[in-house]
Amino acid sequence: MLKKLSRRAFRRSLWVYHCNSGACNGCDIEILNVLTPYYDVERFGIRLVGSPRHADAILLSGAVTRPTLPLVKKVYQAVPAPKLVFAVGSCAIGGGCWYDTYNVTGGGEKAIPVNYFIPGCPPRPEAIIYGVALALGLVDKKVVPVELKQMEFPVDMYRWQRLLETNNVIYKLLGEEDDRLNFGGKRDGQDSAG
Amino acid sequence: MSRAEELSRRLREELGNLVLDLETGTPGRLFIDVSKEALGKVAASLKNQGARYQAAVAYDARKTGQGFGLIHTFAFDRDSLLVAVRTFAPEDDPEFESITPLIPGAGWSEREYIDLLGLKFKNHPEPRRLVLSDDWPEGIHPLRRDVPHDLMPPAAEEVAFRLEKAPAGTSIIPFGPFHASLHEPAHFSVYVDGEDIKGCEYRGFMTHRGIEKLAQTELTYNEVPFVAERICGICGSVHSVNYAQAVEAAAGLKIPRRAEFIRTVMLEIERLHSHLLWLGVAGHLIGFDTVFMQSWRIREKIMWLAEKITGNRKTYGMVIIGGVRRDIERQRASEIRVVLTEVEKEMLALEKAILKDKAIHKRTKGVGHLSKEAAVSWNLVGPVARARGLAIDVRKDHPYAAYDEVDFEVVTADSCDVWGTLVVRVKEVYEAIRIINQCLDKLGRLPEHEPLSLVLEGPVPSGRQGLSVVEAPRGEAVHYVLTGDDNRPERWRVRAPTYAHLQAVPDMLLNNKLADFPIIVGQIDPCISCTDRVLVIKLGQGRAELLQKQELERISRSRRKER
Repeated sequence: MLKKLSRRAFRRSLWVYHCNSGACNGCDIEILNVLTPYYDVERFGIRLVGSPRHADAILLSGAVTRPTLPLVKKVYQAVPAPKLVFAVGSCAIGGGCWYDTYNVTGGGEKAIPVNYFIPGCPPRPEAIIYGVALALGLVDKKVVPVELKQMEFPVDMYRWQRLLETNNVIYKLLGEEDDRLNFGGKRDGQDSAG
Repeated sequence: MSRAEELSRRLREELGNLVLDLETGTPGRLFIDVSKEALGKVAASLKNQGARYQAAVAYDARKTGQGFGLIHTFAFDRDSLLVAVRTFAPEDDPEFESITPLIPGAGWSEREYIDLLGLKFKNHPEPRRLVLSDDWPEGIHPLRRDVPHDLMPPAAEEVAFRLEKAPAGTSIIPFGPFHASLHEPAHFSVYVDGEDIKGCEYRGFMTHRGIEKLAQTELTYNEVPFVAERICGICGSVHSVNYAQAVEAAAGLKIPRRAEFIRTVMLEIERLHSHLLWLGVAGHLIGFDTVFMQSWRIREKIMWLAEKITGNRKTYGMVIIGGVRRDIERQRASEIRVVLTEVEKEMLALEKAILKDKAIHKRTKGVGHLSKEAAVSWNLVGPVARARGLAIDVRKDHPYAAYDEVDFEVVTADSCDVWGTLVVRVKEVYEAIRIINQCLDKLGRLPEHEPLSLVLEGPVPSGRQGLSVVEAPRGEAVHYVLTGDDNRPERWRVRAPTYAHLQAVPDMLLNNKLADFPIIVGQIDPCISCTDRVLVIKLGQGRAELLQKQELERISRSRRKER
């Protein structure tokens, strides 16, 4: 639904508010950089605005620190719906290299709902433009979502470990067909039966 | 007799037994241990001899039974000498004499340790919270050894800033924490009377991320440069080089000459992009967006160049302890030269447009005035000090890396206002280009394909002090490292130039127009993430009572009412 909405509502005009919640400036200067002549996002109707009340989207950069956490929430509330939130850079995504220090609460998602993540330290201007364009439906996704599932092994993957437990010897990992590890098949058969 | 020896003799004469130890081993550095009572006297004596205050470092030395250590560092710029004065206070009575009444620029440094280490300072004029957030509980001091780095006391909701009351006759205009003219979270509470700024209170340290604590508990020596680089996304390699130099000084390492030249080149490339960035932002702040667009267009070439050399536009990841990670080969050097020639040409055109523009003259001349004397007393550094006629530049005064072999000029101006800082920064762009070209010439003459970094033999010895300064685009950055066990520093302290500058901002704002607020704060090129490193905020001085033009204002106010 969000996708449809942003394609319809924001496609030709998206006003973004840049919210620095405790970044190192790296992401911030790249965000400013996309406005300058080489990248020029205004051709997509994207503008930086000074107040969250004028904005359609928030570009969040930096880990959310303890003092800025309530402020970031306020900024989110001040943006009129429908709204999009982009987390720009590693810190805004998951807290970066100081994700667990005493004054950092973590990534942007801990404070407000985030719609799109733009990774990088800092992300290149092209990456930021691509992320926003993706949200607006101007480009296609380059990756598809991967569903993670426990693999079912055709062989018993815990066999070596059981052998170690019963015999207390570490076996060198060799091919499945190797006779030296098969223990005549008898013990193995008992194992799987048990 | 060298200055260090002369100084040590003099201190011994003045203080006798109060001086416990003097270490003059490293050239250009003097480490002094004094007893607690003598701290104020030493600071006064150093100040009288013309020393410039840099920063305070405090650390938890309870493990060795010494209680808490406090180090004040001073610089003698004319004599290329850095002095670190260390003293200890017992664990049960961690009280030191405050030197803030003597040296106002030390105010923040001392307040920082009231928060972070629970130290006390006798006679401190303003012993308030500086770094930790408002809802941080009393009595927990994150930099103490027994507090884990990931301690997160429950947050209290809706804690407001505890700002001072506005002086009578003024109203408050809040700027920030998120404000269009500030690109980083910081709160300025500006007291205005009509259009005139009568005072200002600052609450910052909102991007305090606990980096120093992280280095002392989680990281190892060679991991820190990469985290140090992320203190600031603009002057990152300043911090990584600075940290590496401090550790190398402490361990007594001499890195390969080629690596020193490469570090110099990277530092100057960073200065180029930072100055052009500032020029653009300054143009934006006074509403002249053409300058913003043009200077960032020129800057983009330098970003591409940095990517070619290091693989990343920012956060270069070039520096490790003992050297650098990547070489600048002959072919790459010629590519750099081509780009620099283009940049210089375009910059000349831009300079002409800026320096001759009447609007820029009117918006910057006489704005944000701070006298030379005030600049000295607030210990200002970098372009902000140089715009006030102080010819201090770490690259000349305390040469590091390869700066002793290159020839450049320290640009100064004497207009003491925003205009001066603008001129200084524009001129420094050309100096940076000159330095890079000289470095590339000299690099070409050094043998290639030699190791770019030392292989450390054995661990870094513990308990050694290392003090390093680097001229960041914004001014002098100070790093202090006390080596420790477990392959990580016992204490690592970063003092960014903005730390010194922000303390002087209330003085710069006084009696200016409110509309000039963004550019006055902008003239110091505030890098709040550098300053905050560790935690959260505030400071200020309501100076309204000191107004001399009060009578005039009263009249103008009554006139407004008549209308």
